Amino acid sequence: MQPATMNDVARPTRDGLLAMFRSAATEVVEKDFQHVQEATVISELAIDSLGMLEIIGSMERQLRIQIPDESLTGLHTIRDLLDVVEKRMAS
Amino acid sequence: MHSRPKHVAPTLVDAVRALADDRVRGFTFVRSDGTERLYSFHDMAVEAERRAGHLAARGLKKGDRLAMVLPEGDEFVLSFLGALFAGVVPVPIYPQLTFKNIEAYHDTVAHIARASGASMLLTSASTKQYVEPGVARVESRPGLVTVDELAGDVGKAGVTVSPEDLAFLQFTSGSTSRPKGVMVSQGNLAANAEAFMIHGLDRDPAVDKGVSWLPLFHDMGLIGFVVGPLFTSVPCVFLPTASFVRAPRAWLDKIHEHRGTITYAPNFAYALVAKRLKDKEVEGLDLSCLRIAGCGAEPIQARALRDFATRLAPAGFDPRSFLPSYGMAEATLAITFMPLREGLTTDRNHIGQELVDCGRVFPEHEIAIVDEEGRRLGERQIGQIVTRGPSVTKGYFNEPELTAETYKPIADEADGAPWLHTGDLGYMVGDRLFVCGRLKDIIIIRGRNYYPSDIEWAVSEIPGIRRGNVVAFGAPLEADGEEQLVICCEGTSGDASAIKDATIACVASQFGLTVQDVVVAPLASLPRTSSGKPQRRKTRQMYVEGTLPRVRHEPVSSGIESDSQGERNAIQCSPPR
Repeated sequence: MQPATMNDVARPTRDGLLAMFRSAATEVVEKDFQHVQEATVISELAIDSLGMLEIIGSMERQLRIQIPDESLTGLHTIRDLLDVVEKRMAS
Repeated sequence: MHSRPKHVAPTLVDAVRALADDRVRGFTFVRSDGTERLYSFHDMAVEAERRAGHLAARGLKKGDRLAMVLPEGDEFVLSFLGALFAGVVPVPIYPQLTFKNIEAYHDTVAHIARASGASMLLTSASTKQYVEPGVARVESRPGLVTVDELAGDVGKAGVTVSPEDLAFLQFTSGSTSRPKGVMVSQGNLAANAEAFMIHGLDRDPAVDKGVSWLPLFHDMGLIGFVVGPLFTSVPCVFLPTASFVRAPRAWLDKIHEHRGTITYAPNFAYALVAKRLKDKEVEGLDLSCLRIAGCGAEPIQARALRDFATRLAPAGFDPRSFLPSYGMAEATLAITFMPLREGLTTDRNHIGQELVDCGRVFPEHEIAIVDEEGRRLGERQIGQIVTRGPSVTKGYFNEPELTAETYKPIADEADGAPWLHTGDLGYMVGDRLFVCGRLKDIIIIRGRNYYPSDIEWAVSEIPGIRRGNVVAFGAPLEADGEEQLVICCEGTSGDASAIKDATIACVASQFGLTVQDVVVAPLASLPRTSSGKPQRRKTRQMYVEGTLPRVRHEPVSSGIESDSQGERNAIQCSPPR
């Protein structure tokens, strides 16, 4: 995890991103996702790809970032997804 | 022999060449980062010619098949046109953009490459790695080439293309079987483009502009927004499908910014906008420019369109711009369109449910409703929808039996010219078509026919069930037993027994039917088509085999499969609207 700098004090921590994923998933799928951890395998969440894109869209709006489509292929765990999000926030 | 179209060029190649002097108007592609790039019609013609030269230089001959996996809209469209200019038959394959099941994707790529006999697969540098393992499974080893490798100018292909030539293969999975390739000819493209762009939409090249996020590997996006507009000189704006799903407002923003006049989407997209868009997101939008908001490709629910219209009324959206329609890849794209400015019109079916008027057939085309023996049925009688005319394709590539089953004469007709048997059920009121569902999915219980979509829509209204994720079918509960009604749904609340009770009560009160079994499955666990529709046949098969996942009734600690609160919501069934 990268240390916060003066320019981005509002940038959420890694835990904050995980919490953001959980609440976005709950809003989109209308189901509780509090059990989700970084090691959770995305396919085991039983969220379809349309739903996953909606969740990612919600995170993008909150973080004011845009994740290129090609970075979304081949994601396995929530950790992979949060890595992509963090990398995008840093750039 | 059908007469040639009167108002458009005989082939798409001729149509694009005829636009080559237009350096101002063209197609605008929005990338996922929001940047836009305009290719004028002139640029497109030049680039198509250039890519055609490369394909010919690489040994592709007229009639050879070229599989294409190109997620970027501009690369897709330019390569598709390049193939047509070379007389090569493009075979679009959807790109991998899911978060699971890469194995199944490799199977699909291998199946389509094999079934089409593709001699080459064209992809992009960033997509190559996801396609390669699929291509490696194909015995004939088609060459794998990226668009970057088609750099520079290697001369023209010098191929002549005529209306009888096969233009491309549209692989379609339907909800029942492995993808099969519909053979769409140049003549079919011209006929359908004339039908829906001119007779259907009365397009005005000086005013009209299309806006679409529809996938280009699917008939609605490709024929509706690339082929039709190129034949009729209408500029279009394309945004990535994923951009729309991530932020539904992106679709409306592009209509607003570009003053779009024509857009199209399946029912679910209108529902998604109505559900996701916040009041403040509607502020500042001006959609008064939009004259056509088409809807098709899946059963249309009047409620989704009404909710959309209500949501977007402050933005100046005119509900008369709704244009419900009916079509399928086997008929190139469009079969019926509502007349302009009539908007949403509905009818009550035999059980009082509301069905959307899908309009009338185009000039030079015919539509009829037939019974099981192939005899024409009268007004308001439900049967299979059949159609024929210059837009109807000749059949499936290398599938003579399936083609003969689907394209055949109807019983009570002397001339015996084949009709496309759509496999969809519907009825006519005057010249208007109402679609009821798929023939194969009809549920027969004690000699009476029930339409699964009727039951599914009713059950979808129950709280705790994810809307649209309900499948109803008939299945024997024991070997050689009578068919019984089974309902599978994806539960959101997790209280499976409450959902079960509510489903049984709902179906009993609305249809007078006893549900023999209700399966509450975890979210996103029911099998789906590539466009996200639940697959009834596959679900039924899994049910019969006992492989459908079920939410356990007991509270479980993981919380994945069941909500441990066990709190019973007030569940009730809404009356039919």
